Amino acid sequence: MVEMNPLRRLRVVPERDQPSGETELLRAVGRGDEAAFGQFYDLTSARLHGIVLKVVRNPALAEEITQEVYLEIWRLAPRFDPSRGSATGWSSTIAHRRAVDRVRAEQARTDREERDRPGPSAPFDSVVEQVLDRIDRSAVGEALRSLSEQQRTAVTLAYYGGHTYRQVAALLDIPEGTAKTRIRDGLIKLRDQFGVAP
Amino acid sequence: MNPSDLHHLAAAYSLDALDGDERRAFEAHYPSCEICSREVIEFRETAAVLANETALPPPVALKSAIMAEVAATRQLPPVLPDQVTTITGRRDRRREWSRTVVATAAAVVLAVVGTVAVIGLTAGLGGSGTDEVGDLLAAPDAAVASLEGEGGVLRVVWSPSRDQVAVVGDGVAGAGPGRTYALWFLGPDGAAPAGLFRPDSGGIVRTVLTVADADPDAWGVTIEPDGGSPQPTTEVLFSGPA
Repeated sequence: MVEMNPLRRLRVVPERDQPSGETELLRAVGRGDEAAFGQFYDLTSARLHGIVLKVVRNPALAEEITQEVYLEIWRLAPRFDPSRGSATGWSSTIAHRRAVDRVRAEQARTDREERDRPGPSAPFDSVVEQVLDRIDRSAVGEALRSLSEQQRTAVTLAYYGGHTYRQVAALLDIPEGTAKTRIRDGLIKLRDQFGVAP
Repeated sequence: MNPSDLHHLAAAYSLDALDGDERRAFEAHYPSCEICSREVIEFRETAAVLANETALPPPVALKSAIMAEVAATRQLPPVLPDQVTTITGRRDRRREWSRTVVATAAAVVLAVVGTVAVIGLTAGLGGSGTDEVGDLLAAPDAAVASLEGEGGVLRVVWSPSRDQVAVVGDGVAGAGPGRTYALWFLGPDGAAPAGLFRPDSGGIVRTVLTVADADPDAWGVTIEPDGGSPQPTTEVLFSGPA
């Protein structure tokens, strides 16, 4: 079934074959090439800024974090190792993690400040709906919709919502192990559909 | 947590959906586990496809701000083949800390050098915070430590009787937007925060921090998000025995 899926063309890693692919540019950046860094920025900034914004939601904060992300990319570029994944995966990981860590740090502070004040948890429906709405017609939207609703919700809350699997479990009122499994099964299905190869 | 649990965390880890403790446990595990390493790579690529779906260009002005900052920022050295590191440099950092602990034992012998360093330090003082630092140096139990790093040398003046520590440096690079330098005590129980500091626009650091009940074996400096962190989250930039 997977073999017949048109999403197979969505291979993520073959940028090795492209002369100005992200991975090749990032290797040049690692040698201190500022012009290559500028090109890398042009290629990647919409993706990295977009995912940061999706997680933190505040445009000013997203801009600030995006700036930090690129500075980190610049500093870490000499340590980028293409044998452990593409530049696309590497840079997206840096951006997503930084956004998530910032949200959690803020949350921890707010929790301390408002420990005694009961507050409603953020409605997760809006996160899921917003994302699905936006990517409704895309190939990836198609792939997401091929997941079970439970897997899709869990993956979406974790990645776009920036929640831990424990938080996902609490939001969905399911056991933590179940949340972990839904995220894993969903991601495996997406991986197979995207034809991702290391 | 037993290893079979760890094997199932690659997906959640790749989506940054582990909390701090589990993230650390998995990061300690997966580089040496062939299956988990491969899964992390694959799941990260998968996540990058998901990131593509929310693409939205940042404001145009951001690029020039970043390019200007990059032009003034030194890159980290490459990792050599005999070093193993994760994307966050966490393993590197652990190595740094443990090396610092080992260095501490030898450092006790060198305590006498402090007096000489104080003289040199006083002569080189200038700029804001100087009076406070000079005052601290005059404390009978003030001890000076040199913290070596790629970016040069920071000096730390510490007076246990006053519960104060001063950080002194010149030509120190900015920490970056939304970030700050953090000084750490290093003892047998690990790292404890000593306070935060920033260079002024001329790269000068003269910061006096108030600390309580510290008994450090060594000092370390990292860059942390504004407001600091309970534990170091980035690589050690400067370190030295107390």
